[in-house]
Amino acid sequence: MFNLRDKGAEIWESQGRVGRVAIAVGAIAIVAALPFMGGTFLNTPVADYESVLVYPIAMFVLMAIGLNIVIGKSGLLDLGYVAFFAIGAYTMGLLGTKTELNTWEILPIGIAMAMFSGIILGVPALKLRGDYLAIITLGFGEIVRIVALNLGALGRSEGIQGIPTPPGIFGIEYAFDSHRIYYWTLLILILLAIWMVRRLSARRAGRAWESIRQDEDAAELLGVPTFKYKVWAFVLGASVGGAAGVIYASKTLFIAPDNFTLQISILILACVVFGGMGNIWGVILGAVILGYLPDRIRFLSDARLLVFGLVLVLMMNLRPDGILPRKKREKAIVKKDAS
Amino acid sequence: MIGNFLDQFWSLTFGGLSLGFIYILIALGYTMVYGVLRMINFANSEIFMVGTFATIIIIKDVFQFTQTSEYATGFRLWLILGTALISSMLVSGILSMLVEMVAYRRLRRMNSGVLAPLISAIGVSMVLSESVRILTDSRPVASPRAMEKKFLGQFFDAGIRIDNTIIVISALVLFGILITFVNKTRMGKAIRAVSMNPNAARLMGINIDGVISATFLVGGLMTGAAGFFYTLKYENTSAFIGFELGIAAFTAAILGGIGNIKGAFYGGLALGLLETYASFFLGTQWKAVTVFVVLVLVLYTRPNGLFGEALTQTRA
Amino acid sequence: MKKRGLISVAAAAALAVSSLVGFAPASHAKAKRITLAFQGPLTGEEASVGQDELAGMLYAIKLFNAKNKGKYKVKVVQADDQGDPAQSAKVAPGIASNKKIIGLVGAAYSGATIAALPYYKQRNLAMVSPSATRVSITDAAAGNIGFPVFHRVVPTDKVQGPALFKLATKGVSSPKVYIVDDQSAYGVGLVDYMKPTIPAGQGAGFDSVSDKTTDWSATIAKVKTAGANVVIYTGYFPQAAPFFKQLRDSGYTGILAGGDGVLSPTFVTLAPASVLEGVRLTAGTVPLAEIDAKLEADFAKKMGKASGVYAAESIDATNVFLSCIAKGVSTRDAMLKCVKAYSGKSLTGTTIKFNQFGDVAGGVMNGFEVKNGVIKFTGAVK
Repeated sequence: MFNLRDKGAEIWESQGRVGRVAIAVGAIAIVAALPFMGGTFLNTPVADYESVLVYPIAMFVLMAIGLNIVIGKSGLLDLGYVAFFAIGAYTMGLLGTKTELNTWEILPIGIAMAMFSGIILGVPALKLRGDYLAIITLGFGEIVRIVALNLGALGRSEGIQGIPTPPGIFGIEYAFDSHRIYYWTLLILILLAIWMVRRLSARRAGRAWESIRQDEDAAELLGVPTFKYKVWAFVLGASVGGAAGVIYASKTLFIAPDNFTLQISILILACVVFGGMGNIWGVILGAVILGYLPDRIRFLSDARLLVFGLVLVLMMNLRPDGILPRKKREKAIVKKDAS
Repeated sequence: MIGNFLDQFWSLTFGGLSLGFIYILIALGYTMVYGVLRMINFANSEIFMVGTFATIIIIKDVFQFTQTSEYATGFRLWLILGTALISSMLVSGILSMLVEMVAYRRLRRMNSGVLAPLISAIGVSMVLSESVRILTDSRPVASPRAMEKKFLGQFFDAGIRIDNTIIVISALVLFGILITFVNKTRMGKAIRAVSMNPNAARLMGINIDGVISATFLVGGLMTGAAGFFYTLKYENTSAFIGFELGIAAFTAAILGGIGNIKGAFYGGLALGLLETYASFFLGTQWKAVTVFVVLVLVLYTRPNGLFGEALTQTRA
Repeated sequence: MKKRGLISVAAAAALAVSSLVGFAPASHAKAKRITLAFQGPLTGEEASVGQDELAGMLYAIKLFNAKNKGKYKVKVVQADDQGDPAQSAKVAPGIASNKKIIGLVGAAYSGATIAALPYYKQRNLAMVSPSATRVSITDAAAGNIGFPVFHRVVPTDKVQGPALFKLATKGVSSPKVYIVDDQSAYGVGLVDYMKPTIPAGQGAGFDSVSDKTTDWSATIAKVKTAGANVVIYTGYFPQAAPFFKQLRDSGYTGILAGGDGVLSPTFVTLAPASVLEGVRLTAGTVPLAEIDAKLEADFAKKMGKASGVYAAESIDATNVFLSCIAKGVSTRDAMLKCVKAYSGKSLTGTTIKFNQFGDVAGGVMNGFEVKNGVIKFTGAVK
């Protein structure tokens, strides 16, 4: 079968420094120009094309990158990722409406809150065996939602409304309907997250995660502090989710517990696996497709979620390793491992 | 509060127990599959949902009951209940086998790991619940009442209702049959062998595909029975009924030790009671939170669940 | 009911409209195409409410199009928000920037409404919601977030909450009331506005139960412990029916009551007639079958299914737009002006008019009781 991932890697590796910079700049330029392509076949019926680019697409991409650190890099199944998104969003909602702080000041606080809760959840949960992690994280995601639903300070089921938009920077104004501006902001965050993941992957942490994913016991025996690195993966993943939450809240201006259901966790997980777990480009592509698809097929009206489910089944069966799987060499080891 | 609790203790306990038995049967669906494949059968909740609809179709369309009908009695009643139980079990069992073929088989052969089948099962889940939603005009559906909900007697202050009694007794019988099947029959032994070591089982000449199909069938039969009991007790269903119950049953399976049939039994009972008591003491809104806190504590002290994993005792 | 005689079958829906046709501009050979939109949950778990409302809207439009053949052809854009504010926030800008759409029936849910409002306000798109009852949307104290585009044909939680309590305790000599909400903004809102009106000593307790609950034994035990003789459920019919059923089966003999989220013809199909006998309900309108059995029959024939929850409200909301269209309105600005000035008859014969904030003026709460498996009108709640 034609392997898109290897083909891409081949082109990338055959290029010199100049070529690589050119490819990167070109790719970023194309992606950044997406909001201007609303008039083409890309346009979504009913839903607004540019808002779809912001949420779900860009938001899902950011979260999928975060979740990929947890699942794809270190092999920990997290079914409650929406919790970190919710914590970021509620931090923004609370501080944005109750204090004078603006979005850019709250962003680091939201990230810190998400990381902190990542530690609170991660330290006990990661002591447990892999499969149980799924249900514990799932439970954590639900707990966060239920707490938001029942605490008066968080607005209960009515949520928080009137969240301020970010103040302008460098003369760029954030109006609630300037979808493009939010899209580009998210694009910058996504690039930052990609950069962070790539840096870490090439270093000690990346090698440690890789060893944990392939054989945790062996890694432990070889002296890798597996627990520490697992918590790290968890916390870094959480930080990306938190950042996405902060931006989300200051874009929609209104958040409620309904926005943070288990379905979102499952959908983001699907993005990661669908795209190609462990390969950041695959994960991004997966998130783009799964974020975009339900809105693109709105003309099917009643049947659109049904078709969406069919696509999941079909694609997973055709490409079990995702659209852009991780490197073949790594895959081979996993396969041998699994049998 | 404590005084109130004691007043209501037996009715809460009976409610929790009969709910617990429904959890047990759904949890068996998860645990059987997990025991053999080490995979979470995400579509099991929708297999349950379809089972509830099978019962309703039997009562409403085959036996023509409406909400104003006279209750059935005597032989006719048992005929109706028996037909509904068997239909639900068969429908769910067969559906479960189909789910395995569509969502798991190809991936299993490709040795794709755990996550790809998980997502593919989630896809099947969406297809099933959305199809049923469209077929039911997005509306909830009720089962007309075929059996009068009489009280058989009193136990302290709590009434013992006939439907709860039927659920407990039949679930115990089904559970007994399942244990015998797994321990005594050829297929049961084959299932255990595959669960213990698939490669060795294959070398011993066991047809792995057949065994896995049988496992899904058995899990589906149990889940379908749960669908019948659920409909008998609560009489309401909808296309999305499976999600919450599925997660609860999955929690029960883990609580008892996933992959372990006895674990599903005690896990289901424990969860049914825990949910009911916690709702009474702490307020219904904190039910899910309590359950997960208890789950974390249990897994901390007993990392493999209350009764350990594995369909057999021999697996480490 | 009293007003039934005044209104004939299907004409009910088109009455206000057809009488105004004379004002329409002289029609050309080709029918004038007008587009309205519906926003609500059409897929996913909440779809039951949205699909029922959409059917009401499409029914009203079907009658209108048939009546005005060759003059007008009204089309509906379906904006599925799954009842989710996050989905609403991406659908709303799409609807808002679609210039063909000159009016919107919806959003069905208050949360989705709030998320969508900034876009509709910016593009001046008039909304008439059949079911978004949250008080804050039209509350000046909460910043008038719905002004000027938002309108609704249902009374708010603030009107319904106290009315529901009044109806539930009517004729009970020493009521002890147990109130259960479904944790939704709708259910909690009703309770919040009911609370201050509960006389001392009449409140027996509160419970807040997830709308995904299937087993009610803990809540039932609490009701019994509290010794309540009136139980009010503020939520929707899919949960109300099993709750009431389990409560009755456990031996509870007191009064059961619920709000307009329960008033669906489907509700009475969800439990044996003997169990639901005497359940009291409130709503701003009346189910189609109670207005006229022929109306319900016509609805079922044309739509292929029985009418559902908020059906009459949806028809009323749609008729507001349709009568404006019949007056020749074809732009958003004109539509908003027309809706603001609207005064017409609802299906039940009451007057629909909006106050400056978009609330239906002088909305009355009607009382209902389930008798022999049918929801019967029992008069306005006073």
